[in-house]
Amino acid sequence: MPVVHDIPLSLKSGEVLRREGFMGYSKVRPEIRILIRELLAIVQKAHLLEPAIAYEIYTIIEIRQRQLFLAGKPLIPDLSLPSLLPQAKELAVAVCTIGPRLEKQVTDYTSQGEPLRGMLLDGIGSAAVDSLMEEACKLITSEALSRGYEASSPISPGMLGLPITEQWQLLKLVPAQEIGVSLTSAGIMVPRKSVSLVIGIGPRMAKWTRAEVCARCHLKKTCPYRISA
Amino acid sequence: MAKDLVKTLADLKEQEVMEIVKSRLSAGDDPLKILEDARKGMEIVGKRFASSEYFIPDLVYSGEILRAVTELVKPKLSKTTESKKLGKVVFGTVAGDIHDIGKDIVVFMLDVNGFEVYDLGVDVPVQKFVEKIKETGAPIVGLSGFLTLAFDSMKQTIEAMKAAGVRDKVKVMIGGGQISEEVRKYTGADAYGKDAMAGVALAKQWAGVK
Repeated sequence: MPVVHDIPLSLKSGEVLRREGFMGYSKVRPEIRILIRELLAIVQKAHLLEPAIAYEIYTIIEIRQRQLFLAGKPLIPDLSLPSLLPQAKELAVAVCTIGPRLEKQVTDYTSQGEPLRGMLLDGIGSAAVDSLMEEACKLITSEALSRGYEASSPISPGMLGLPITEQWQLLKLVPAQEIGVSLTSAGIMVPRKSVSLVIGIGPRMAKWTRAEVCARCHLKKTCPYRISA
Repeated sequence: MAKDLVKTLADLKEQEVMEIVKSRLSAGDDPLKILEDARKGMEIVGKRFASSEYFIPDLVYSGEILRAVTELVKPKLSKTTESKKLGKVVFGTVAGDIHDIGKDIVVFMLDVNGFEVYDLGVDVPVQKFVEKIKETGAPIVGLSGFLTLAFDSMKQTIEAMKAAGVRDKVKVMIGGGQISEEVRKYTGADAYGKDAMAGVALAKQWAGVK
């Protein structure tokens, strides 16, 4: 099963600000901009990001209602996924993480009485996970293209149509432990700055933008991190 | 001068705020009056946050400025005034959820706004909330949770308070990314705060602070 480390991440300032809750309708004061720049430098210097991706691509033998038959895997029953990607010939499952170091630093800042640094660094971590997810999508899309297929846009547990409880099933399909990712008893990924995703692969796959995902979410009016079209 | 502190804090001009406070303390100004002006400045910050003129980091920045002001003023306060807190609050992220950043922001804003906060951390078992309420006699409880799985934990925590006979003695607020009025009804909480300032406003209301 493929595991990829040392992935270069480019953190765009707009994405970092979005993950700080900046919606574009208020100005960012210079003190905050300076602090974000300083924290980005610390992230680099202290190697707070340890990006890693574990993924696997399975041939889909059969999709039957809520049952998914993957080559070399036992039947996966009671899964919402098949209805989301009915035209897929293959299923890519990936887990991405930036590791535990950044979130430990967030905790340290907060416990040392520097909550602003803590929350800004946390936002940088979220932007890094977003960027890593994009890299995972590029990797899987490239593999799909090499076989003459298309790749769908990614779907993560918690998004419309894929309940977060299905996290358990997905993590059985990738070597998440090899990149240090595990689930708590409640199904939350640890390190928290991690994301799991599935991508359908086939001759013609549906694609959607992140803004379209946000537009379909029940938090579309209140989420401070939403993306507008 | 008083107007200057209110406006300068509301504008989040940290250095100028510190200079004004030092100058007023040197001039023998009443430290309580200084804190009162700082509080008025924070009220404006809250309004600007509510109207989206400020975003979350601005809010936390204002809290850090208020804390620095309080630290400067503290040595000038009498012992009795210094120890006077607005009220006790027990706060934590409910069992099963390990998200802490939102909880930490609310705890910090409650703290700098004058509340004595008992932060129980994350993934807090229901009994730990009950024990802390009994131990401290805190009349306000905050339950935080980021994911939908937190709804049941919040409900169970409030039910445990009922079973332990402390539910009628406390006001419970809930908060987190997915919380809504429907979730409040489901969990049996008294109110939900959509953000840190709403949490502070609820706590002040319940503590009888004008």
